[in-house]
Amino acid sequence: MLSRNLYTWSGFSLLVTGVLISLTSHFILLVTWLTALGIAMLILSLIFLVLGRTIPKISPEVSDLFLQTGVENIASLVEELGIKSKAVYLPASLTHNGPRALIPLRPNPSLPAITKPLPQRLIVRYGPHSDDVGLLVATAGTTAAAMLESTPGPTLIGLESTLSSLFRGILGVADGVKVVHREDYINIEINNPRLEQRVSWFHQCLGSPLASIAASIAAEVWDSPVVIKQEEYHKKSWSIEIKVLK
Amino acid sequence: MKIYNGYILLVAILLLLTTVILVATGQNSLDVYYIVYIVETLIVTELCLYFNAKARRGLNLVSTVLFGGFLFVISLQILKMLS
Repeated sequence: MLSRNLYTWSGFSLLVTGVLISLTSHFILLVTWLTALGIAMLILSLIFLVLGRTIPKISPEVSDLFLQTGVENIASLVEELGIKSKAVYLPASLTHNGPRALIPLRPNPSLPAITKPLPQRLIVRYGPHSDDVGLLVATAGTTAAAMLESTPGPTLIGLESTLSSLFRGILGVADGVKVVHREDYINIEINNPRLEQRVSWFHQCLGSPLASIAASIAAEVWDSPVVIKQEEYHKKSWSIEIKVLK
Repeated sequence: MKIYNGYILLVAILLLLTTVILVATGQNSLDVYYIVYIVETLIVTELCLYFNAKARRGLNLVSTVLFGGFLFVISLQILKMLS
């Protein structure tokens, strides 16, 4: 609310000052450049007022509170079950409610092809064998994907612009994204990430929050399951390698 | 909110620089100031691709209002030339 007030109050202040300056200088002082400066203030005030209305109503601290609570619960579950396998990020077409992460209960290097949507449950059976069981969980990427207006086609430019728009414009957690695609691998480089990257059992399973979001979006764009193969931080950029499962 | 601040700062610096340059060149027509301001604001707004949908809609409204003002100034100039 504080940020919203700051933008709105700045807008109102500029509006009043701009009107006073432009009217006084145009009709009394007869100074053109001062009138123009007043008009510039009016233009800026409109921008401030419009942007002030788009600031989220809840503070980042409250959002962080909800995120941490959710993450802690899933982390406890994953650690208690002793799961060491990497999560498979599924597109919305293979789940019932947005892109989700499937965490196989046993390490499975050759995941069976998932052809039909999995049931909307926490514990799901994803293959024909008795031990093809996993946890189907919502991640930060599930919510992030819902923030997008539309999903682009499976192109490099589409994925790059979607991730840039999300990380830079909507979430404000990075300065830019670069995507390189070769065969079944997608390399995503996130410039200047501002989200804390932690290393824990849980994060080794699901990946870091940024990688998790990137993988969910990649799965959605390619409409295919994906896995985070590796991620590393170097020279103010976060490098993520994602494998597309056919 | 970093992207909002960057955008506002860019527009403010551009408008201020324009004023300084036009004053230095001895420009005395308010219409010229206004048209240059509007063109600059519209260009910067269009170049900021990464705003969220709500901000984009709001800025489109601002752009429409400014463009309306632009057309008004042009119309006045045309009428002045015709009369």
